[in-house]
Amino acid sequence: MRVSRRTVLKGGGVLGAGLFVTRFLPGMPGGGSGGPAEELAELAQLNEEFVPTTCWIGKQDCGIIARKVNGRLVKLEGNPEHPRNRGRLCPKGQGQIQAIYDPNRVKTPLVRTNEKGVTGTWRQATWDEALTMVADKIKEIPEDDRKKYLLWQKGRSKAGDFYDDAFVKASGATKMGHGAYCSDAGYRAMELTTGLHGVLHPDFRHTRYLLSYGWDGMNGGGNKTCQITWHQQLIEARERGLKMVHIDPSRRSAGPFADEWLPIKPGTDMAFFLALANVLIENEYVDTEYLTKHSNAVSLVKADGTFLTETRTVTIENDDGEEEEEEVQIEQVWDAASGGAVAIDADRVQPALEGSYTAGGVSVKTAFEVFKEHVASATPEWAADICDLKAEDIRTVAMEMGEAAMIGSTIVMDGITLPYRPVGIMGYHVTQQELGFQACRAAALVMMLLGTIEAVGGQRTDYTWKVYKNWEPFGDISVKDGPYNMYLKGSKFFPINSANPSIAAHAMLDPDKYELEAVPKVMIIHMANPVISFPNQKTIMDSYELFEFIAVIDPWLSETADLFADVVLPAATIEKYEGPMSANTQYVDAKTLRVPPMDPLFDSRGDIDIYLDLCEKAGILDKYLDVVNSELKLEDNPLPLTERPEVRDIFDRWAKQQGLEGVEFFEQQGVWQKGDVPASKFYGYAQDPPFDGNRHRFYGESLLRAQNDMKELGAGEIFWRLYTPYPTWMTATLEGSPPEYDLYLISRKLIEFKQARSTFIPVLNELAPKQFMEMNPQAAKDRGLDDGDEAWVESQNALTGETRTVKTNVSYLETIRPDTVCLPHHYGFFTNPITKDQGPTSNTLFFSGEGYVTNTADQSFHVKVKVYRA
Amino acid sequence: MPKYGMVIDLDKCYGCRACMVACKIENNTPEGHFWMYTFRLEEGEYPNAKTTFLPRPCMHCEDAPCVRVCPVEARYKEDTGQTSMDWDKCIGCRYCEIACPYGVNYFNWEDPKKIQYVDGGDPDLQAVTEGARPPYANPDLDGRYGEKNAHVAGGNHLKSVVGKCTFCIHRTEKGLDPACVANCPAFAMHFGDLDDPESNVSQLLQEQVGFRLLEETNTNPRVHYIGGSPPSTDAHQIEAVKGKE
Repeated sequence: MRVSRRTVLKGGGVLGAGLFVTRFLPGMPGGGSGGPAEELAELAQLNEEFVPTTCWIGKQDCGIIARKVNGRLVKLEGNPEHPRNRGRLCPKGQGQIQAIYDPNRVKTPLVRTNEKGVTGTWRQATWDEALTMVADKIKEIPEDDRKKYLLWQKGRSKAGDFYDDAFVKASGATKMGHGAYCSDAGYRAMELTTGLHGVLHPDFRHTRYLLSYGWDGMNGGGNKTCQITWHQQLIEARERGLKMVHIDPSRRSAGPFADEWLPIKPGTDMAFFLALANVLIENEYVDTEYLTKHSNAVSLVKADGTFLTETRTVTIENDDGEEEEEEVQIEQVWDAASGGAVAIDADRVQPALEGSYTAGGVSVKTAFEVFKEHVASATPEWAADICDLKAEDIRTVAMEMGEAAMIGSTIVMDGITLPYRPVGIMGYHVTQQELGFQACRAAALVMMLLGTIEAVGGQRTDYTWKVYKNWEPFGDISVKDGPYNMYLKGSKFFPINSANPSIAAHAMLDPDKYELEAVPKVMIIHMANPVISFPNQKTIMDSYELFEFIAVIDPWLSETADLFADVVLPAATIEKYEGPMSANTQYVDAKTLRVPPMDPLFDSRGDIDIYLDLCEKAGILDKYLDVVNSELKLEDNPLPLTERPEVRDIFDRWAKQQGLEGVEFFEQQGVWQKGDVPASKFYGYAQDPPFDGNRHRFYGESLLRAQNDMKELGAGEIFWRLYTPYPTWMTATLEGSPPEYDLYLISRKLIEFKQARSTFIPVLNELAPKQFMEMNPQAAKDRGLDDGDEAWVESQNALTGETRTVKTNVSYLETIRPDTVCLPHHYGFFTNPITKDQGPTSNTLFFSGEGYVTNTADQSFHVKVKVYRA
Repeated sequence: MPKYGMVIDLDKCYGCRACMVACKIENNTPEGHFWMYTFRLEEGEYPNAKTTFLPRPCMHCEDAPCVRVCPVEARYKEDTGQTSMDWDKCIGCRYCEIACPYGVNYFNWEDPKKIQYVDGGDPDLQAVTEGARPPYANPDLDGRYGEKNAHVAGGNHLKSVVGKCTFCIHRTEKGLDPACVANCPAFAMHFGDLDDPESNVSQLLQEQVGFRLLEETNTNPRVHYIGGSPPSTDAHQIEAVKGKE
C-alpha cells in the first residue's frame, strides 16, 4: 500500500502537515501568471505520493519520507514525526537515493566461475539455483556439527529477530558479531562494572559538565546514538550551558564544540582517569553514600586480592524443577556497629567504606581502602608525564568535575526524588585498544566516586534502565580448558569475549596454539565486508582461504565476496520490509518499520525473503518460523509453521499484536509514538530498590579470579596481565616497537561514511574521495612532507615483528598531536567503480590478536608506525 | 511580498555537509557543482589551533554584482529577494562568475545530464526510471518560477550556461524552506522574510549580533551568520572537496 496525497489529506495530515500542503501541482507558478499550456498540462499530471520508511545506512534507522512522482522515487527527506531525526537526515541519509539506483548493485544471484582468493568471475544464476547451492551446503553438515562448522557473520543488519535469532537458531550456526569499528571493549567493561549494556554517554538533558573522551565528540556520533540524534542532543545541552572538555589526540572530531582540548597521548587514557580519581579522593569529592550502599567498595579484600567471604547454604531449584541445596560465598563487610566482619546483606549492617581490619585473624581492607592506596601515587604529575599533558590541566578538570557533581544534591523527576550529579563522560570507539577495557573501567570508577552512575545528569550507559544478561556471568568469569570454539569463547586466552572475526581469524590460522576444536567450513556473510572492515586485513584474508564455501548476502559485490564468495545473493537496499526497529532517543520512545518505497530493484530480494526461501530449501523453515513467532511474541496470531509467509504478513501480525490496526499503520504513519520515557524506566536510581538491588563492581574481583584461572591453565602473561581488579597502568604492548616507529597511528570515522553501503554512494565519495593521513604540519615538515604529498606508512607488530605498509597522501592538520597520525576508516574498497583508487583501508595497518587486544578478544585501532616520503 | 533571507547559526553547525547533499539531490546539480558548500576551516597552530565550519550558499545580494554585469538580463533580482538565473537567456559569458566575490557560480562545461552521479543510461535502471537522468530527477525543476515566470530552477538543464543556488525557488513558491535549510540536522539554518520584524530570521537577528561575508564589498548579502565569527585571514580549508580547494 502506498500513501498517496489524497489518502494523507483524508487522514487528517497526520504525517506532518508541512510536507503535504500545496504539492499537488509541483512547479505551479506562484504568481499565477501562467506558462505555456502544454507545460502546465504536463505538470498537472504529476502524481505525487509520500511513503514513510526508514534509513538504511547507519545504526539509527532514521525516519524518512520518500517522495515519489509518477511512481518514481525522487527524494528521501527526514520524517518530522521520527524522534531520532526530527525531519532531518545526515549526508548519508540524503545521499542514499543514489545507492538505491546504483547500477553497480548485484542485479541477479551470482555463482563464482574462477578460483577464490583473486578477483571473481561470475555467471548469473536463478534464485532457485543459488539458494539451493547454499541450502545444500547447510544440509551437508550434520545438525550436531553446525555449531562447529557453520559460521554466520553479520554486519549492520537490521532485523535481529529474523537474522541473529531466527536464522542462527534454526540453522544451528555460530554467530559472529558485526563489531567492525564498534566498541566491544567498552560494552564489556560497563557490563562487568555496572551491568548495563553500552559504553559511556551523558544524560544530555541534565548534564552540565561533559568529558568528551575520544573522537566521537561531534564526528560519527557515539554510544547508542549516532548521526544525528547525538548531535542534536549535544547542541541543545550546550545551549543549556553544558561545558565540554575534549580529551583526544586530535581536536578535529570535537570541532568548535570543545570548550577545552587536552591533547592526550594515544593509549594513555587509563593513567589520566586514575589521576582524576587521585585528585577527587584527595579533595574528598567522593559520594560515600553511593559507594557504601550501591557498590562493592565496602567489601573486605584479603591480601591475595580476593574477597573475604562466608559460606552460606541456599536452596535452589535445579533444571528438573527439584529443590537442591548449594553452598554460595557471600562477601563480607566491616560492620561499624558490631566491630566485626559480617555478610554484606546482613540486617542493619553499617558497612565501613574505609579502613584496614583483622577479621578471624586475617588482615583485610575495604575495597575502597585498596583503591585509595592504588591511586595514591597516580598524581596529576605522574599522569602528566605519561599522557603528555600538563599536571595543572588534569588537576583543574578533576576539581571542576568534583565541583560540578554537586555530591549530596537531589532533584525531583516525575515525583521521585533522585540524586542529581550533572557530570558525565562520553566515550565509545576510543575503547578499542589494548588497554581500552580497563581505561573504560577507570573512567567508570571516576564516575562512581562522584556518584553519577544513573543519577540525574550523570553517567549513562544504556537508553533505558535494564540490567544486561552479562551482569551475572561476569561476576564469576568462566575460564575453561580447551578445546575452544572458533572465536575462543570462555578460553584461557580471552575469557571475556566479543565473538569477533579478528580473533577467529587468528585461531583458524593457528588452531594448535589456540586449542581450536575445529576450523569452520561454511560461512554465510550478511551485510558485512570483513576483508575491509576488520583488522588485520592480511590475517582475515588468510583465514578466509580456509573456508570451503562462502555465501554472501549483500546488495553490492563486497570485496569479501569478490575474493572469497562462492555464491552472492543480491539483497535489496531500502526497498523492503524490515524491522521492527527502535526509534528511541533515550528520552522519547517510539517504534518503526522499514516500509518499501518501491519494489526491489533488478532481481534483488528483501533480506527476510532471502532467509525464508533459504530456510525452506534447507528444510528448517518450521524452526525458523517458530523462533520468529517467539521473538516477535506473536502470541495471539502466530505464523503457521508449515507455510512460507509473505514478509508483509509477518509484520501485519506483529503490528496487530501491538494493538495497532496492522502493518498499514506503519505504511501510513511511519512511526509508532510511545511517548516520553518516564524517570522510573530511565534512571537506575529510580528503581525500587535502586539498581534492582545490585551492587556495582567498583572492585573487579572476578577479573582477578579469572587471572588466577588463566595462569593455572597455562595462558601466557600477555593474555592475563590486564585482568586486574583495579585498572592498573602498564606500558602498552605497542610501545615495544623499535624506536624508528616513532608515530602513533589512530583512526576515526568521517561523518560522510558508515558501513560500506555509504562508501558506495557517489555524492559521498565526491565529498571524501580518497584516503588521507592527518598529520601535524610540523611533524610532516620534519620528515620532508608537504601537504598532499604521497607517503608510506609502515606499522610494526611489537610482538611478532611483522610489518604492514600502505601508501597514502599527507593532509596537514594543526589540531593533531605531532606524534600522532590518523587514517580514517571506510576506505580501501575496490569492487565498485566509484571506489577505485580511493586508497587503503587503515585496517591493513592495525594488528589484532594478543598484545593489541586484551580482555575482550576484538580489535584495536592503535599501532606504532613510521612515515616516510613515497 | 516577502523578502527572503537566510540566517545560519555557526554555534550549531557541526560541518556535516548534509546541506550540500540535500541541495544536490533536490536540485539535481551535476558532479563538481556545489551550490551550497560548507567550508571546514582550521586556524592557529598546535596546540592553540581551532576548527570552524562555514556553510556558504549564494548570498542573494541586494546589490548583486552578478546582476550588474550580466549582458543579457539573464541574472536578475526577484521581488522576493532571490537572485535568479534564467537559463533560457544565459549566453555563458561567465561575467557573473567573475564579478561574484563569493565564488558561488558554476559554469556547465558539459551537459549536466552526462555528469550525473548515477548512470541513468543503464538499461535495467531505465526499465524503472524511464531514462530519467539522474534516476531521481526532480520534475519540479522543469517548471517556471518567479516574477518573470522563467526557467530559473534546478541545475541539470543545459551545457554552456551558469548555474547557482536559487534559494530553492521551486520550493519557496510552495511555502517550503530551501532544501538545505529544511534538512539541517543541527537546526542551524533559518529562512524567512527579512522585511517582517516578526519572522524567525528577523527575530534571530534582533537577538544576536550577526555578520555577513565580505561586508566591505557592499554587496549587501541576504545571508546572515550568527554565532561564531568571520573566518580570519589565517583560516585555511581542511577536507576540501575537489574543485573547491
